[in-house]
Amino acid sequence: MQKKILTDQSIYYGNVSMPENWEIDRIELSHHILQSNLTDTKLQLSKTFDKLNDYVREHINLKYSFNLINKETWGNIYKPNETTVPLLNVDPVDLRNSPDYTLLYGVKTKDCMVRIYYDDNRRKGRSWDIEIKDNMFIMFPSTNMYYLTNNQKDSLNFVQTITYEYI
Amino acid sequence: MAHFAKLSESNEVLTVLTLNNSDMLNADDVETESIGQQYLETHNNWPAEMWIQTSYNTLGGQHSNGGTAFRGNYASIGYTWDVDNQIFWPKKPYSSWVKHISSASWKSPIGDASALTDEQTDENTAETHRWRYVWNETNTTWDLTNELA
Repeated sequence: MQKKILTDQSIYYGNVSMPENWEIDRIELSHHILQSNLTDTKLQLSKTFDKLNDYVREHINLKYSFNLINKETWGNIYKPNETTVPLLNVDPVDLRNSPDYTLLYGVKTKDCMVRIYYDDNRRKGRSWDIEIKDNMFIMFPSTNMYYLTNNQKDSLNFVQTITYEYI
Repeated sequence: MAHFAKLSESNEVLTVLTLNNSDMLNADDVETESIGQQYLETHNNWPAEMWIQTSYNTLGGQHSNGGTAFRGNYASIGYTWDVDNQIFWPKKPYSSWVKHISSASWKSPIGDASALTDEQTDENTAETHRWRYVWNETNTTWDLTNELA
C-alpha cells in the first residue's frame, strides 16, 4: 500500500530567535506601523523588517526546504476587546496574483488570539486557536480564513502581516 | 569572488553569499576573512562572527584545482559548521555513521564497502546485473544487491 500527499496544509509558528544583541527592534516596527496607519501609506521598509523577513525565509528554507518570495506587508493596530472580521488574503477571482502564505508577527501584543479555519475533508469549518505573543510568528496558507481577538485591557496590539508566494 | 556561509545559532548554514574580493581587503590590500565578515555584518544584518568563509572548490577535504583545501567542503544550505575541526559537514546520511576528519566526509562505522569483484564489474558492464553495495542501517552492514533483480 502506498500513499501520495496531494497537498499540505501546515501551520508554522515559533519565536524569532535572533542572535544575542541582534534581536528584532519591535519598537521601531511598531512606530512604522503607527506611522503607516496614521498617514494611510504603505509600511516603511527597514533593516529591521529585513532582519525579520530574512529570518523567516531562511529558516523555513533550512527546515522545510521551500523558498518564500515576498508579496506584500502591512501592519495593524488593534484596540482593547477588538475582534477583526474574518480575514482572507487570497482573492478568489484573482488567484494568480494571490499569496500562498500569510505570516503574522507579534510586534507588541497582549492577550491576542488568532483563530485559523480549515477543512478536514468533509468536516468543514474546523478551527485552531493560538495566542500570538511578542516576537512570535505564525504562518499558514493564505486560503485559510482567520481572525484575531484582542482581549487586552489597557494597551494597543501591533501585528505585522507579511504575505508570501512559495516556489 | 569569495563565498561566505551565514550560520544559524545552532551553526547550521542558512545561506551562502558571494562577496567581491575587493570588499574584504585589509589596509595592506590582503584579503582577510574578518574584513569580509564585517562587510557582511554591515550590509546583511547578521553578526560578523556568524559569517564563515567557505571555498567553492573544496569538496571532501580536497581542492578541485590542486590548491589548498579549505574547511573541508563548500558550504551549502543545511550543512553544519564544526568549529573544532573547522569543517562544513553535510547532513549525516545514517545515524550510525561517524565523522572522518581527513576526508571531511561521513563514513560507516565499518568503513567503506568492499570493491566489486571483476566478475561483478563485468556483469555491470554487460548490463546483465547492476551490483551495488547498499548500506543496511539496521544490521550496520554493507549489503550487496543487484538492482536489476
